[in-house]
Amino acid sequence: MFRLIKLLMVLGCLISDISIAHHSFTAEFTAERTVVLQGQVEEVWFRNPHVRYILKVQNSEGVNENWDLRGSPVVWLARKGWTKDSIKVGDIITAEGYPGHSNRKMLSIIRVTLPDGSMLVDRAPE
Amino acid sequence: MNNIKSIKSLIVTLMLALLISIPMSLRAETSDIEGRWILSLQDDQRLLVGLLEIEKTANDWQAFLEGGPVEINIQKDHIEIIADSRDVRGFVFNRRMTGKIKNNQMNGSYEQEGAAAQKENPGTWSAVREKNEDSGLTLTSSATAGDISGIWTATQELDFRKYTMSLTQSGKDWLEQYLPYYDQPDVRCTSIGLPALATYSFPFEIISSDDRYTFLYEYQAKVRRIWMKKESPSEFMPPSRMGFSVGSWVNGELVIKTSLLDKTIRDFRGELISEDATIEERYSLSTDNQTLTAIIIVDDPENYERQPIRRRQWKRNANTEIFPYTCDPDTFYLPMYEDGEFQMYIDRTPFRF
Repeated sequence: MFRLIKLLMVLGCLISDISIAHHSFTAEFTAERTVVLQGQVEEVWFRNPHVRYILKVQNSEGVNENWDLRGSPVVWLARKGWTKDSIKVGDIITAEGYPGHSNRKMLSIIRVTLPDGSMLVDRAPE
Repeated sequence: MNNIKSIKSLIVTLMLALLISIPMSLRAETSDIEGRWILSLQDDQRLLVGLLEIEKTANDWQAFLEGGPVEINIQKDHIEIIADSRDVRGFVFNRRMTGKIKNNQMNGSYEQEGAAAQKENPGTWSAVREKNEDSGLTLTSSATAGDISGIWTATQELDFRKYTMSLTQSGKDWLEQYLPYYDQPDVRCTSIGLPALATYSFPFEIISSDDRYTFLYEYQAKVRRIWMKKESPSEFMPPSRMGFSVGSWVNGELVIKTSLLDKTIRDFRGELISEDATIEERYSLSTDNQTLTAIIIVDDPENYERQPIRRRQWKRNANTEIFPYTCDPDTFYLPMYEDGEFQMYIDRTPFRF
């Protein structure tokens, strides 16, 4: 089943959702483009100062890569109903976000689509 | 012959008049533009307000927004201002404002430039002369102390989030060696303190007591006491990143002055806040008691040539509460270790505090 997992790269998307930055995203991520990844969750770090998921993704050459997904602090996500149980180890998810600079396999999460099709959005107050 | 003399005389007169008139027009232009303005920028989502300072140098103009430099171009009655900012997510972009100057007013249109997560549609801007009593805030303050108790959630109104500041040589020297992210206190669960904490978009709660206000910040679970009946800290109280704050109500505004600060950084960019810095915050409550607005001014001549200014607005929110905040620095340390950057981090220990 895992063979079906594909890496999707979507460039130039204009995304209006906003997350709370508690550290310098300009130092780590680029807003020039967005990326969509589909993969299996390997690790879950639902902790402040920011949540972290390790996502195993198969690239276009069939090689597995681990991506480091970063999200807002727990307090912010929890207020939106995004809890430590929302994404579990083994889940197949689709994550969209801003990639790391210099092709680092990092992603600043904008939104995550869960196995049941529901969506979690990491964004700031109106 | 007389005719030739007359023509020569006329030409000389005209040239003299021209020479005199050019500097006069320049002086008139300078007096029309130089000085302090309150700049308002409006798009379809929000209103931003900031202090714009314009000065004439020997050969050109220079300008500052909220204490930080902006690019300015003036040609006759046309003006262009380019101001950097960072969005809520931390990405840096510019706002390009173009317009006209007429009768002590400026107005025009603006657009966002550069990649940002927080997209802004083109909008309009205007600027009027700052009045002595004008803090740039748009709300009408009540005449007396307001009831600011309660939980407040941030809006994205008012704040230009000016990115670069006007630094002294000492401030520049610090920033040059600062390494973003790795040197930032809160990524390793160390207090980032003031002024940053007062500007973050997390909720905070104000509790009123007889002699103090207590601010409970959700981010990093920080507590801050605003003393209303004493003017100085207890003997031997150490400096801290929350400092020592005294407050008073002045013309309907809660004015908070904070000193006894410990070193920290102003914002993600990493500019230094020194131990000798002081911070003045002025909080005002809307007439319906539902909106709280603040201007936050840092005075730190060691690092800043001009006072950095931030503005925030919050809405009263009885439908939320302050969540607990437990911080685990492993999300910072372990990736750094895995990336082989830990020795670099250790080597930089003298640069952190």
